[in-house]
Amino acid sequence: MPEGIYCNKQTVDTPEGVNKLLSDTSGNTYYQEMEVLDVDTDLLWKTIQNTCKSRIRTWLEICAHCGMCADSCFLYEVNGKNPKQVPAYKIQSTLGEIIKRKGKVDNALMRHAMRVAWAECSCCNRCGMYCPHGIDTGIMFGYLRGLLYNQGFVPWELKIGAGMHRAYRAQMDVTDEDFVDTFEWMVEEYEDDYPGLTVPVDKQGADIMYTVNAREVKHYPEDLAEAAILFHLAGESWTVPSKGWEQTSLAMFAGDWAACKMQVESVYEAMERLTPKRMVGTECGHAHRATVIEGPYWAGRKDGQPPAPSIHYVEWLAEALNTGRLRVDPSKRIKELVTLQDSCNYIRNHGLKRATRDIMSHIVEPGFFIEMAPNKEHNYCCGGGGGFNGIGKFRKERNIALIKKRDQILETGAKLVIAPCHNCWDAIRDLEEEYEIGIRWSFLKPLLIKMLVIPDHLKPEE
Amino acid sequence: MFKKILFATSATPASDHAARVAFNMSGEYNAQLNIFHVLGVPSRGFSQVVVDVKTKEKVGVDEEYLFGVTEEIKAYYAKYLENGLDYTIDVAVGFPAREILRQAKMTQPDLILLGGSTGDEEESVYKKVSASSTLQRVAKSAPCPVMAVNRPAASFWGGMSNILFGTDFSKTSDKAFDFAARLAKAMDCELHVFHALDITGLQSGRLLDQDEIEQQIRESLRKIRARYQPRLKELKSYSMDVWEGIPFIEIVKYARDKHADLIVMAHHSRRIPDEQGRLGGNVEQVIVRAGCPVLSVNK
Amino acid sequence: MHDLLTGTFFWIALGICLTGMLVRFVLYFKGLSWQLDRVAYRAHPKAGLKGAVRSIYKWLIPFGTRGWQTQPFITLAFFGFHLGAVFVPLFLMGHVFFVEEKLGISLFTLSAAAGDVLSWTALAAGSLLLIRRLVLPEVRILTTWKDIMILGLSMAPFATGLLARYQVGDYGFWLNMHILCGEVLLVAIPFTKLSHVFLFFASRAQLGMDFGIKRGGMKGTKMAW
Repeated sequence: MPEGIYCNKQTVDTPEGVNKLLSDTSGNTYYQEMEVLDVDTDLLWKTIQNTCKSRIRTWLEICAHCGMCADSCFLYEVNGKNPKQVPAYKIQSTLGEIIKRKGKVDNALMRHAMRVAWAECSCCNRCGMYCPHGIDTGIMFGYLRGLLYNQGFVPWELKIGAGMHRAYRAQMDVTDEDFVDTFEWMVEEYEDDYPGLTVPVDKQGADIMYTVNAREVKHYPEDLAEAAILFHLAGESWTVPSKGWEQTSLAMFAGDWAACKMQVESVYEAMERLTPKRMVGTECGHAHRATVIEGPYWAGRKDGQPPAPSIHYVEWLAEALNTGRLRVDPSKRIKELVTLQDSCNYIRNHGLKRATRDIMSHIVEPGFFIEMAPNKEHNYCCGGGGGFNGIGKFRKERNIALIKKRDQILETGAKLVIAPCHNCWDAIRDLEEEYEIGIRWSFLKPLLIKMLVIPDHLKPEE
Repeated sequence: MFKKILFATSATPASDHAARVAFNMSGEYNAQLNIFHVLGVPSRGFSQVVVDVKTKEKVGVDEEYLFGVTEEIKAYYAKYLENGLDYTIDVAVGFPAREILRQAKMTQPDLILLGGSTGDEEESVYKKVSASSTLQRVAKSAPCPVMAVNRPAASFWGGMSNILFGTDFSKTSDKAFDFAARLAKAMDCELHVFHALDITGLQSGRLLDQDEIEQQIRESLRKIRARYQPRLKELKSYSMDVWEGIPFIEIVKYARDKHADLIVMAHHSRRIPDEQGRLGGNVEQVIVRAGCPVLSVNK
Repeated sequence: MHDLLTGTFFWIALGICLTGMLVRFVLYFKGLSWQLDRVAYRAHPKAGLKGAVRSIYKWLIPFGTRGWQTQPFITLAFFGFHLGAVFVPLFLMGHVFFVEEKLGISLFTLSAAAGDVLSWTALAAGSLLLIRRLVLPEVRILTTWKDIMILGLSMAPFATGLLARYQVGDYGFWLNMHILCGEVLLVAIPFTKLSHVFLFFASRAQLGMDFGIKRGGMKGTKMAW
C-alpha cells in the first residue's frame, strides 16, 4: 500500500480532515499504515537539491567527528551516555545517510529518522554552542523534520497540530469567535474586582497588540484575564486582534513550512491591519520563536523582522516593572527558595536572559532566587521541547528526557519553579507527576497579580 | 423558580447525594435538567490524551469515547431517569470549574448544582475540611446561584418549609437576600434571617467582654431589621436572630435548630484562596458541615 | 626526485590547494541563502559582522568559550596539535627559506628550538587525539577510517620532518618523504575534511551571523556562540 487513509503525504487542511485523523484513537492505525508508507525518493532528492545548500552541506561535511557535542546534549546524558545519542551521530545517521544515498532510502530508514528527529532531539540548539566548527545540529534536525513531514513520516499529534493551523489558524480547534467570546467572558468575570477592565478588540493604533496561545483560550482562560488585568494595571493602551491572535506554531514542530507561513501571516496581517506600535506575545517560548524569530523568514520578509516590533511577555513585564508602571508590594514578594526555567526558544535563541532576571529581582525577596546550573544560554531544555511533550508514541522517551530538569531543580533546593513558557510549564508539571519531587510551578502572570500594588483609582469600591 | 438546572457531576458515589437533590428538584419543579460531566483533564501540551477523572488513566478522546461516557452516565442514573424526566447529558474535557462555568455561560441555567468532590482517599481528609477548589471557583464566578450538597444528611429534598439566610451585611449579601426572599415567597416557606457575630478574635485581635458582645448583638439585630424587614413583611412567617461564635459553626447550628431545608449565603471572596490555603471562606465551611443543601449567590 | 618534488609537484600541489580553497570559499558564501538559512545576512551587515568576528575570535583562543572550558583535555590536545599544524609549516626556518626562494615572500621565522617544541607537541597531541578517538565511545561511534587516515596524513609531515631533522637513517630519503607528505596534504585540503582549515572560518562566521543577527545579538547579548 503506497499511501494510508490516515498516514499519507497529503496535508490536512479542513476541520473535517482534522476530525478524521483524530478519530483514529491514539494514531494506532496511522502508525500501522506508516510501516508500509512508500518513500517518494525522487521527490525527496529533488527537495534536498533545492533546499540543502552550502550551510547544511558544509556542516555535514566538515564535522570533524570530534564528539565535543556529546556532553552538550541532555538526551545523551540522561540516556546513560549512549553513544547513539551523540548529536553528530544522530544527524549523520539520518540526514547524513539520506543525502549520502541521494534520497534513495527505504521506509525503515525514514521511520528511524522520524524517531531520531522527534524523540532524540528537541531542537534546543544547545549543541550548536559547543561545536568548534559552529555546527548547529538542532537546525539540521529542524530541516530533517521538514523532509520527513513532506513524505508523511511525522508523529500523529503533529500531523494533527499542523492540520489545526491549516484549518483554524490555531493549534487547537478554537475559532476566531471562540477567542473573542472567551476573552470577553473572562474579562466580565473579573471586572467586579478590577473596575474598568476591558478587552479592546481590533483597536486601531494601540501601543500593544497582544497575541496568545490557543491553549489558553481552550483550557486556561484565566490566563487571558490575567493578561488583561496586568495591561490594565500598567495603564497600557492595548488590543487583541479578532483574527490573527494565535502566536504558536505546532507546524514548526511538525516541519510543515507551508502551514508555518500561513499561520504567521495571519498574525502579520493583524499587525498590518491594526498598526500597533508593538506586539507582545504571551508566556510561550516556541510561539515567540515562530512568530518573532523564524516567522519573518517564512513570510519572506527580507529584514528578518515582523511588521511591527515584537517582544516576548517577559520583555514587556520587565519593562513595566523597571519603569515603575507596575509596582510590586515588597511585603508580598516571594519568600521561599525559587528557581527559574530558561526557555531555549527565547533565552538561548533570542538572548532575553536579562529580562527574566530583572523580573526576578522585582518579585523575589533578595536571597531567595536560586539559579539553575548551568543557566541562561547554557540551560538545558525542559525535556519536552520541540514537540516532545505532545507525542504519545514517544512518551517513554520524553519521561526519561525530564530527568535532566528534575535533577537541575533538585540541585537548587527550590520548591517553586517559575516557567514563563507553556512547553516548559507542561514539562515541569509532568515531571512532578512522573517523579514526585514535591515542587510547584507557575507562569509569571498569576504570581504578579497576587503581589502588585493596585493604584487607588483602579481599586474596586467596597 | 427553577426552570433550568445544571447538575455538574462526577457520576461517582461522591456525587450521589447531590444527584438525589438534583433529580428530586427537577421532578418537583418540572425543570429541565442538564447533566454535565467533565470526563478528563487535558494533559501533555497539545497531545490528544486526557486523564480520565474516574479511572485516572490516560485516554485518547474521540467521538466513540465521548459516546461511551455519555452512555455510562445514563446507566449510572438509570433509576432516576425512568419516569419521563426532561434531561440532557453533556460531557466535556477540561478543568472542571472552568468547563462548568463555560457550560453555564452557554445554557444559562437558573441554578448550578454541584456534586461532591472526587478527591483521592488520601486527599479526601483535606477535602472534608475545605471544599474543593472547583466549588470555590464556580461559586465565585457563576452567573446564577450555586447549590452544593456535601453530606448525605443534606441530600433530602422534600417539600421546603424553612430557609436560612445568613448575612454579613455586604452588598452581595443583599443580592443573596433578594434571592432567598423570592424563593421563600415562591415556595411559601419560613425565612430565617441570621447573622453570626464573629468573636474568634481574628478581627478585633482581642477577646470581647460579654457586655460588648451583647451590645453588638443588639446592633446587628437593628441592622437586620432596618435592612430586610420591609421585604420580609411580604412573607407569611419569618424570624431574625444573631448568635455569637465562630460564624460557620453558628450557621450550621442555627440551621439544625430551625430544621432548615436550605441555607442561602453570599459568596463574595474576591480571590480564590491559594492552593496551600487550607481554609476556604465561610460558605465553603458551611457547605462541608451543613445538614442541608447550601446555596451560594455571588451577584 | 628532489627537484621534481620541490619543482613541478610543489607548484601543482600549491595550485590545487589555493584554487580549491578559493573556489570552495566563494561557493560557500554564494550558497548561503537568507531565506533557506533564515538569517537576514544582508539586512543587518553590522550585527552580522560583529557576531561573525566574535564567534571566530573566541573559538581561536584556548579556553575562550564554554565549549573549550568544559572539556579541558581535548582543548589542550586540540590546541597543542593545531599550534604546530599552523605555525610549523608556515614559519619554520627551512620552510621560510624555501618559500622565499620560490615565491619571493619573506616571512617571520621560528627559532629551531621553537620549531622542535611545536613539532613534538603536535605529534604528541595528535597521538592523544588518535587515542581519544579510539577509546571514548562517544567519539569512536563517529570515527570512520577516513578520520584516522586524515589524522595520520596530518601527522606524517611532522614525523618525517623530525626524522629528517635528527638525520635518522637517510636524510635525503626522509626529506623527500617529508616534502611528498606535505604536498599530498596540500592537495587533500580542498577535497577532504581538511577543508576545515578554511571552512572553519566560513562556518563559524555563518553561525556568528546567525546568532548576531537573529538569535540574540541584536538584543544586546554578548556571548561566544
